[in-house]
Amino acid sequence: MADLPESLRCRGMRDLLPEEMARFRRVEEVFATTCRQWGYQEVRTPTIEYLHLFTTAGTLSPQMLSRVYSFLDWDGWSGERVVLRPDATIPTARLYAEHLDSGRIAKLFYVQNVFRFAAGEESREDWQCGVELIGDTGTRGDAELTLLGTEVLEALGITEVEVVLSHAGLVRAVLARAGFSPEEQAALYDRILDGDLTVLDELEGRLHDLKAPLRLLFEVQGSGSGYLANLRGSLQPAIPELAEPLEQLTLVTETLAEAGRPCRIQAALARSFEYYSGSVFSFLAGGQRVGGGGRYDELIGLVSGRGVPASGFELDVGPLSRLLPEPLKAEQAAPVVVVRAERGTARDLARAYASARALRERGLRAGVALDSGEGGDWELCVGEDPPYTLRAAGSRKTRHLSDLEGVLAVLEGSGR
Amino acid sequence: MIRLALPTGDVRGETAALLKEAGLEVSGYAAGSRAYRLRTEGREQVRVRLFRQKDIPIQIALGNYDLGICSLAWVEELLRRYPSEAIVRVCDLGIDRGGLYLAAADGGQALAGSGRGLRIVSEYANLAEALAVRLRLPAYRVLPVWGAAEAYPPEDAELALLAAPDEEAVRTWGLRPLQQVLETSAWLVANRDSLAHRDLTPVLGRLLAHHPMVGEPQFCLPRRLPAEVSRAASALAERGSVRLALPDGHQQPQAVAALTAAGLHFPGYEEDRAVRRPTSTMEGLEVKVIRPQDMPQQVALGSFDLAITGRDWLLDHLRRFPSSPVEEVADLGRGRFAIVATVYQDLPATTVGEAVAQWRAQGRKAIRVASEYTNVADHYARWRHLGHYQVIPVSGASEGFVPEDAELLIEGMETGRSLAANRLKPIERLFESTTCLIAARRPLEGRRRKLVEGLVSRLREAGAGAPTGPREG
Repeated sequence: MADLPESLRCRGMRDLLPEEMARFRRVEEVFATTCRQWGYQEVRTPTIEYLHLFTTAGTLSPQMLSRVYSFLDWDGWSGERVVLRPDATIPTARLYAEHLDSGRIAKLFYVQNVFRFAAGEESREDWQCGVELIGDTGTRGDAELTLLGTEVLEALGITEVEVVLSHAGLVRAVLARAGFSPEEQAALYDRILDGDLTVLDELEGRLHDLKAPLRLLFEVQGSGSGYLANLRGSLQPAIPELAEPLEQLTLVTETLAEAGRPCRIQAALARSFEYYSGSVFSFLAGGQRVGGGGRYDELIGLVSGRGVPASGFELDVGPLSRLLPEPLKAEQAAPVVVVRAERGTARDLARAYASARALRERGLRAGVALDSGEGGDWELCVGEDPPYTLRAAGSRKTRHLSDLEGVLAVLEGSGR
Repeated sequence: MIRLALPTGDVRGETAALLKEAGLEVSGYAAGSRAYRLRTEGREQVRVRLFRQKDIPIQIALGNYDLGICSLAWVEELLRRYPSEAIVRVCDLGIDRGGLYLAAADGGQALAGSGRGLRIVSEYANLAEALAVRLRLPAYRVLPVWGAAEAYPPEDAELALLAAPDEEAVRTWGLRPLQQVLETSAWLVANRDSLAHRDLTPVLGRLLAHHPMVGEPQFCLPRRLPAEVSRAASALAERGSVRLALPDGHQQPQAVAALTAAGLHFPGYEEDRAVRRPTSTMEGLEVKVIRPQDMPQQVALGSFDLAITGRDWLLDHLRRFPSSPVEEVADLGRGRFAIVATVYQDLPATTVGEAVAQWRAQGRKAIRVASEYTNVADHYARWRHLGHYQVIPVSGASEGFVPEDAELLIEGMETGRSLAANRLKPIERLFESTTCLIAARRPLEGRRRKLVEGLVSRLREAGAGAPTGPREG
């Protein structure tokens, strides 16, 4: 309720100008093309969903829920709130449960925006390129997703990509072994997910058989199967529940290593989602997080009542479009022809538009000049006699032509 | 100039005493003056305006006032939904002590359940929403009400979040307190910018001298709900009776008169007093007393089959929810008044278009439209193309808003005398309101249908014979 800012644009919302939009589309197109090549199919979910889809335990954390845009719809007299999609995975899980649950593996991708409140000028609407792999794929699915994600980043020309791996079961195993009640575990887990690592002291106070400090798990960031072997050796005897998460992480780590994509391992990847149940990963480029995801075997069951294992990831379009190589790799664009009507008569104007259309049908980019300053690679003047006058930009030399075929012959032969 | 917002209502006496003790006596405040703008004795630089407690945090956040005194519960209600508002909790003043309690129906009463998640009724809808999220309720509905939240469980809600002096007070309402969610009292609050840039010491210094700073308020939530409360969410109530809601407050005398004219009398519901559950004198009919503002939603939800309320509140509900099934089924012809758009008396304008041109010429960007009827006000602002506008929700003492705190006020007008006394003039008449009977467009069968049709018919007849003309006042 503070005074409105001077700009007419809402705080936390962004305009994309033509150059930024070109970068946005490049990310979207490369992502979609790569996903299709891998056999994934595109879906889209609505912008507005019921709030209760996101409030069930195991979906969004309380911290994230306090940032959603929820409101009563025009027919919301029953008090049931709706929300601007704060996350794209949960709606896709709903979409799968309602339309695609045939027992077969579903490979889905989407490009969608998500809305979350952020203070000040920080972005409140973010676009995500997301992938969901739904069905019983086991850890192989997690390995596939990390490889697909890195391939998209590579296809975008982004270098210095790093994968950070974790497993939601690591934190959960420690919490359960420390003897906290399910409610306390949920509260502590919320704190860890919200980035509060002071929880470690409380945990160590309860884990008496611990031979090595929990810092080894939570503060050291290892790489490769060597680090995982160290964790198995030092912590697994006191916390046997770590065995399964560590085994799953090993498979993903080694698959990535074999594929020439080394990764870093971090026990607590603090995220505001609590639906992850297995491997969790982040993609970093130039030291900046550009996406991430993980396994969420419980989520579809929470949404629909019938549990189906799944995993997925998202790439953030905003940071990625800023990381695209400069300048944007030039497309093999056709020359731009600006068509002018010699006189302002309806007949000449109609002929100008018809000529521009004919040029477009031959693969050129053409439009009718709406003011005298508009320029392109070529200028084509449509008049009575001669019917067509063609001039290259920056040249004084003009060509008088009697029909469009002649115009096209010059343009196609010019190589411009 | 320091702008100070003080509360009207029950807390007035305690607040006046506290101010006097701090050497900030406000003329007429303790004596219950009906004026909305007051002065502090010997301190010309302090300007005082009275508000309902609920409105004070909003006015401080808007920057209309530098300092305010109000219940912590209303501050938290605003901050829970809008955490970045420009409002600072300065100190606990130690008066008007009590708590916000989460309560369920008493153990002896069966919980009906809505079939679609727990219903939480509260005047503090944002806090109730936050509470539902913290409890990780899988499905829930918050029923925001203007008041009388204690009347809803067990039939019309499973849980209530409500303010009370102590747990015992909650029990006297027939409810079981589950947890004190927040310890409340009156706090001194400040606008963040005022605190950062203006010298507020003539007021702040004196109050702080008596009340040193204390820590942040803490919310305390139950870890889990009692099993019978959680179970109630999945049980759908089958109801054989007809339920009628009757209004408390200003509309109560009109409703009693209409019922009497229709030959109906419910012991416990009289012109000058009412219990929440009056005795029904008709077989198969249940009667409950709630706030008239909350009735359209309750009827839409199906909690009540019939309700006596004002057309003003029905239209406010329909402006917000155009597809709601609620409609007027009988005009009871009483409590007649007009809903009007009003402006400051000295504004040289006779139409809202002229008024907007004046405000724009004065350099005002957002036109502030204050009203208790926020949905009517919002609709009016769009309909009249006000352009850049803000609707300021008001819970009472509304006639004092124009011209300092709002340009336009959408308000009820009976004789016009009260508006004139506050230097306001009506600029456009929106609609006429009378007490009416409302129902939902929903098929009823058998005995229930017969009973409803009988009541509608009797009240419609009583309405047709009602005396015409505005009440004096």
